[in-house]
Amino acid sequence: MPPILSVDRISKYFAGLAAVKDVTFDVEPGGIYGLIGPNGAGKTTLLSIIAGSLRPTGGAVMFAGNDLTRKRSFGAARAGVVRTHQIPRPFRSLTVLENVEVGLRFGHGSHTSHAPQAAMQLLERVGLANSSRRLSALLSVGDLKRLELARCLAAQPNVLLCDEVCSGLTEAESAQVLDLLCDIRRSGTTILYVEHNLKAIMKVCDRVIVMNYGQKLAEGPPQQVQVDPAVIEAYIGRPTGN
Amino acid sequence: MEQEAPVGVNEDVGDAKPGFSRIAPAVGPLLVLAPLAALPLFGPGPNTVRLLFVTLTLVTASVGWNLLGGFAGQISFGFAVFYGLGAYTAALSINAGIPPVVSFLMGAAVASVASLLIGLPTFRLKGPYFAIATIGVSEAVRVVMMNVPWTGGASGYRIVEKGRFFQMHHYYTALGLAALAVGISIIVRRSKLGLALTAIREDQDAASDLGVNPFATKLLIHALAAALAGAAGGVYARYAAYIDPDGVFAFRNGIAILLMPIIGGVGTIWGPVIGAFVYGLIHEEVVANFPQAHLLIFGSLLILIILFEPAGVVGLSNKLMRVLGRERKD
Repeated sequence: MPPILSVDRISKYFAGLAAVKDVTFDVEPGGIYGLIGPNGAGKTTLLSIIAGSLRPTGGAVMFAGNDLTRKRSFGAARAGVVRTHQIPRPFRSLTVLENVEVGLRFGHGSHTSHAPQAAMQLLERVGLANSSRRLSALLSVGDLKRLELARCLAAQPNVLLCDEVCSGLTEAESAQVLDLLCDIRRSGTTILYVEHNLKAIMKVCDRVIVMNYGQKLAEGPPQQVQVDPAVIEAYIGRPTGN
Repeated sequence: MEQEAPVGVNEDVGDAKPGFSRIAPAVGPLLVLAPLAALPLFGPGPNTVRLLFVTLTLVTASVGWNLLGGFAGQISFGFAVFYGLGAYTAALSINAGIPPVVSFLMGAAVASVASLLIGLPTFRLKGPYFAIATIGVSEAVRVVMMNVPWTGGASGYRIVEKGRFFQMHHYYTALGLAALAVGISIIVRRSKLGLALTAIREDQDAASDLGVNPFATKLLIHALAAALAGAAGGVYARYAAYIDPDGVFAFRNGIAILLMPIIGGVGTIWGPVIGAFVYGLIHEEVVANFPQAHLLIFGSLLILIILFEPAGVVGLSNKLMRVLGRERKD
């Protein structure tokens, strides 16, 4: 099966410092791909490049055969690649329902009619239907994470880029969000999931890409990656020998 | 008048009553328009009509500014450029024998084109950088107009119209234009464009991540806002019959156009209208009584509003309504 998303030798330098260096991998349609690594590994930078929020210094991002590299984030979203944010960024003066309508009206699907009804269905799916008429500024962290997902789903992505959707959540809330990710995958959306929480990654991902110091360190099924000596070293350090 | 949630108010948006919500949008315009349209019945003096005429042109410019500054959060100090270009275009057109209404439309069109030329470079800047750039553009255009010989340069330009002067014709033109501006503002607010503008104001990057094109959306609303300011300038120029760069392109006009929505309630439908009436009706009195200190007074007013009631008169009235509602419940 041809990949839906190809990251080809992507690099990003900030004032000479390599945040991402020559990273290459393919994402096949319908799976959940985990992107993990220690703090500062370049995961979010890479996600931002794929989403069009950042321009790479070199390399290319291909989506369903089309070059996304020079597209801005609205172009990527309209093409079908949509991202969530690590820290939720709601439109605070809009209601929860209106927040979702933004994705519906401007995203990949671009619904112009029945947007409120479609938005309501999405809110039911993420468990926020009862808060639909509340201002998004009033939501709890857990609900904001779910709103972030609902907004992205409203844009009808083919590839959903999730940036640490479980951070700041309780274990119960994390479990709900992970179930939701599995549900999204079942509906045919491919997910690239950046996460710090290894437990979460191992639970839901079909394949994992590990980054360290801006470079790809390893790639493979979760069971294989978690016993990889290079990955263990990146996460817990090298034994000193004493 | 329709209740509006000002920016940043944390409250639940309750269920609207379906019957009232259908007629609510028409209540505000009717309450404002009816007494203004019936003004001749009260036999006002020419000075009162003049004051209301000027106020209504300010309403149009202020509502236009609010589309960009209030709805999209792009604070521009440069609306005197569009007001002035509209005034000069209409003046030149009227002197060339073009009917006034067509001249006003031409003023609006020239202002829109200018807004695109200004927006293309300045909308690449964000926040205060954009605001500072508009100050520079405004002053540059004023200085250029001071030196354009075929519009009279610093000496100004006179409009010569054949036929009698009917003050009420001018008044109704300004009233019609102000009503049109408010109508456009209501339509924009309830449209897909309005949703995009609010999203851009709240978080431009997050809006872009969901498919909103911030640059194109800002250019579009800038053009619409400039058209309203340009048409207002045109209507004013025809009434005044004489314009000069230090009058219509003055930086203080740009400040006044911005001040009015802030007084009334920035980002709301009725804030700019209320603000324009407050400003228009007290401005001359303040200038007449405090000729050396009027700018200090308006500047202080601006600071006080931003510090204590950023949502302006509309925000204050909403707060009062909530307090009264709570007391009634108790």
